Amino acid sequence: MAELSRNYRVWAYLIFFAAILALPLVGDEFWLNRVAKYLCYGMLGAAIALTWGYAGVLNLGQGLFFGLGAYSMAMSLKLSSHTSLQQGSDKPIPDFMLWNAQPGAAPDLCCITPGSWLWLPFQSQWFGVAMAIVLPVVVATILGKIIFGQRISGVFVSIISLALVLLARLVLVDAQPITNGFNGLTDLGFLQVFGAEIDPYAVSTYYIIAVILIVVLVLVRLLVATRSGLVLQATRDSQTRALYLGYDVPAYQTFFFTVSAAMSGLAGMLYVLVAEFASPSFLDLAFSVSMVVWAAVGGRGSILGACVGAILINTIEAKVSEVEQLVEAWKAIIGLIFVLAVIFLPQGLAGFAHDVMRRIRERRQPAPTLNRELRQ
Amino acid sequence: MFDILFIGLSLSSILLLVALGLAVTYGAMGIINMAHGEMVMLGAYVAVLANIWLGANLLLAIPLAFVVTGALGYAMERMVVRRLYGRLLDTLLATWGIAILLQQAIRLEFGLVFFGLHVEGLGAGLQNVPVPGFLQATLTVFGQELNTYRLFIVAVTVVLTVLTWHVLYRTALGMKVRAIIRNPQMAAACGIDVRQTNSITFALGSGLAGVAGVLMAGFRSVSPDMGATMVVDGFMVVVTGGVGSLLGTVAAAGILGEINALTAITFNEITGRAAVLLVVILVILLKPAGLFSFKGR
Repeated sequence: MAELSRNYRVWAYLIFFAAILALPLVGDEFWLNRVAKYLCYGMLGAAIALTWGYAGVLNLGQGLFFGLGAYSMAMSLKLSSHTSLQQGSDKPIPDFMLWNAQPGAAPDLCCITPGSWLWLPFQSQWFGVAMAIVLPVVVATILGKIIFGQRISGVFVSIISLALVLLARLVLVDAQPITNGFNGLTDLGFLQVFGAEIDPYAVSTYYIIAVILIVVLVLVRLLVATRSGLVLQATRDSQTRALYLGYDVPAYQTFFFTVSAAMSGLAGMLYVLVAEFASPSFLDLAFSVSMVVWAAVGGRGSILGACVGAILINTIEAKVSEVEQLVEAWKAIIGLIFVLAVIFLPQGLAGFAHDVMRRIRERRQPAPTLNRELRQ
Repeated sequence: MFDILFIGLSLSSILLLVALGLAVTYGAMGIINMAHGEMVMLGAYVAVLANIWLGANLLLAIPLAFVVTGALGYAMERMVVRRLYGRLLDTLLATWGIAILLQQAIRLEFGLVFFGLHVEGLGAGLQNVPVPGFLQATLTVFGQELNTYRLFIVAVTVVLTVLTWHVLYRTALGMKVRAIIRNPQMAAACGIDVRQTNSITFALGSGLAGVAGVLMAGFRSVSPDMGATMVVDGFMVVVTGGVGSLLGTVAAAGILGEINALTAITFNEITGRAAVLLVVILVILLKPAGLFSFKGR
């Protein structure tokens, strides 16, 4: 039973990988650019499944990490855009900083607006890329240490993360002189990788993102199957028992929380590469909740399921939104799907697929399965 | 100083109005009702519709909204929430879905837009409710001018809080609810009909949200998404105060409202809101059980 189900899981992953790699054969570049965004959302879905399904920690503020990743990358790309380079200074200056400049301040990145020096290291694009992962990791580690160290669990983690993302959004919008507030960062340059430009509408960019997603999914899937992944699942099922068995529960929880944050940061960074903007809407509560919806529909207990759920919902949403009248109706449908999924399909589409496969197999060979289960 | 405290007091009373219903549902039933904000929104729309179609003023809309949202809450508990007891995070998700459904129902005028029909008072736009004349005056107390409508909100909040307290601590229903808060299994073993009590409690909490909505319709414009932020605020008040403690909820609403007013006036609106979020995060980190909580469960 175990091997069979493992086999089928491997096949599910392989089919998914083949599907996303084969997509450039059927679509034009504009469409691929859109799908690439959904692949980033897919990574977010997987990140949610990792903490929610495997650790039992529902993070309602995942957008914070996505936003950190997106803004780090966007800051670097903003500095390398044409408008920033042509402001009559030897160092690039984002256009909005000139509009917000302190009266009499030198047109230099170091001091044009209060806090603009924070942008200085982002002149190096690799610094932006690195920060897109490092910042979420640092924030998540500190947060995890405090939250899990205090043995806070369940709803309270959700509420804290929710309050944090709201707080971060307020600060982000309020810090207009360094973040361009509500407007976010637009008009970005391209990322240069070893002399080549990452063009959002190139097929090669799609492949880069698809391959990164595949690598991340495989790594995470392997990670949850390791010993520490199993301990994590034990803490989800009974935190007290895991503690009494001598496991350092907060350390495991913090580690996986951090991995999930790193994935979200990476997703944010890749998203900026294809979407060419970063905006405070990434930190909207509604966005963080939609991620949870994707994971819930796809299957919270399955990394792949949550990823597919995210891609599926967004693809359908894009199709439906082409008809103007249906935009609002679609939201209502999402609400309904969500209620039904929570009640009738608590393990999402992945759980449903799993049940179907097991039914089929049992019908095919009922006796041996029973025997093996009895022996175990 | 007095006027700032008064503004804080009226902010507190609005927080408390929203949180009161949540305190009942979350405290007694362990249900995180994310659709609570939408109940507030629907209460506000009852006021809008009652004004347009019945010519009723705000005061008359209060009992009407209580009945409508209470009935809706009852139906919601029967159809959805009941299946999810013991799955705390799932209640959060399912009720979130219901919240979206309710919002879209108002926006799409219950689907009538698809048939080209328009109901005045519904739809995606902003609505306003006129406040009766005697509530628009200003009152002078200690040389300070006070807005009568704000005073009215504070007064209604006090009345509702006292009523809720009375129901919880001085009636047979309240006795059952408190027994369920302490230990649902034991309560059931003692012959309390837990399911029935839960349905009524949920309806009561939703009804309170509806009343909050009517009062809100008097000082801000009504829109389908007005409830979304409210449930977060209300929930923070409940968690800060301590689950299942009415006194805690009242105190937390008072503290958070005043903090909001003080920081917002000393610095700006955004700092005020940030300060509240920060306090809530700190309270959960340092005292996860809330400021006022009893041992038990």
